[in-house]
Amino acid sequence: MISLRNVWVVAERDLRTFLNYKHVLIMRALWFLAQIALFGLVVNKMLRPDVQEAVGGSYFSFYAAGIIISLLYSTSVFIGYDIYEEADHGVIEYLLSLPVSRKELVLGRSIGGGLRSFLYVSPMLMVVLYLIWSSNPQSFVSPLQLFIAFLALFLFTFGVSGFSITLAVSIKSSDKFDIFLGMINALIVRLSTTLYPLVYMPSYYASVAQFNPLTFAADLFRWGAGLESAVLTAPAIAIFGIISFFSIFTFLGIFLHERVLEGGSWQ
Amino acid sequence: MKAILYIMERDLRYFFRYKWWLAGMVSMNLADLFIMAVVYTRMVDPKIGNYFLFFSPGITITALFAAAFMIGREINREIRREISHYMLSLPIKRWELAFGRVLAGAVRGIIYMIPLLLTTLAVTALLAGNVPSALEILTIILALFLISIGTSGLSITIAVSTTSFEKYVTTRGVVYYVLFFCSTVFYPLKFIESVMPQAFALIAKYNPLSCGADLARSFLLRNQSIELFMPLDLMVFALIFASAALFAYMKIIQK
Repeated sequence: MISLRNVWVVAERDLRTFLNYKHVLIMRALWFLAQIALFGLVVNKMLRPDVQEAVGGSYFSFYAAGIIISLLYSTSVFIGYDIYEEADHGVIEYLLSLPVSRKELVLGRSIGGGLRSFLYVSPMLMVVLYLIWSSNPQSFVSPLQLFIAFLALFLFTFGVSGFSITLAVSIKSSDKFDIFLGMINALIVRLSTTLYPLVYMPSYYASVAQFNPLTFAADLFRWGAGLESAVLTAPAIAIFGIISFFSIFTFLGIFLHERVLEGGSWQ
Repeated sequence: MKAILYIMERDLRYFFRYKWWLAGMVSMNLADLFIMAVVYTRMVDPKIGNYFLFFSPGITITALFAAAFMIGREINREIRREISHYMLSLPIKRWELAFGRVLAGAVRGIIYMIPLLLTTLAVTALLAGNVPSALEILTIILALFLISIGTSGLSITIAVSTTSFEKYVTTRGVVYYVLFFCSTVFYPLKFIESVMPQAFALIAKYNPLSCGADLARSFLLRNQSIELFMPLDLMVFALIFASAALFAYMKIIQK
């Protein structure tokens, strides 16, 4: 029987640990600002008028909504680095000695990993919503749409945490994990609709990008924020994609982490 | 001179130990060019020209900068772990040690950048039909080497001025974002001038990364003329940060 209280205690610990990465958090926030205030604004000026139309009137709003999803992704994968850090410092043995079952421990880690990135990104998410709505005050936003989008993003962060945990416990070397994640980041962000819509990608990229979880998350967030246009993935498909991603990686992460946790076999 | 070469050889050997890291960086640089730039080319106003061609010389700058900046990360780690004490015990003068490190960082940047420069040369030759002469290619490499020296010096200066790795990473991030996003690596200057306040536009114009990218473009794409301030800017950047790094590195390892 899983105790929710124990799961929460583990998740809370991960939330607190996250605050230790002050410099990384500051750097990510600066990255977000630079992307929005410099790159986004300049590139917005360079695009064709029909592209601006196709993305819902303003590429800047489209881009800002995509960048926040990249940020959500890059902060959610952090849990994998925590696992290596703990293995290096012998903290895993301490965690195993706690009166918390293995299932509660790994479930708590997955939830904590997702929750903390969602909380961290929330103020910037609000900034993006403000930018989108202030640039187009006429756009109608249904609170239900926004709620569904937020809920999906919440599941997305859990899925990404599970994905990171799956990689961390499968790769077994912090250096290889770091490099592999860097390579995946390079491809997963660029082969998604976080930066540009699917219709402008060559077909060989679009065929991959349409199944990318970042595409589902970015398009769903745009839909929730009222940036509806013909170039977005259908919300039902995006929701299905995120639920599938969440289910596969959250449970895979929990399963693998629990299996290899005892005895340090993955170190 | 021999001592400097030993130091450089050591740093180059270290560089090639990071095979997987290099593979990761190459994949990121190529993804920028062959995915991001390809898609933006389909979206950018054709009046601006072919964005893929515009961006391809920029990729050499991003690659060069990342590789040359790596020396700072290593020096920061050496100081934290007091490996610098071992370095001081070597029969090498301190200025030779410091100079060797700056030069090694620059050479690493150039070595890493060469395959990407070849990619850019192939892209511009195939798509624009421009094949620069040997002298023009040498000029591009020389300009990029000056950027590499400045970048290596800048990273060493930051590395020895920050006590913790986190602070180093944060400062590196800030420097990176300002230098890259306020430059003509990703977009032409006229768009920066039309959107940004004048101060940002000025930074972008005299940013050594802009000068390097525009200088390379003028030979590879023949779309603009070289202005006198560009090579001067690169020389000043290299001189200032190489001197700052020499001074800061010699000071810190004697503490």
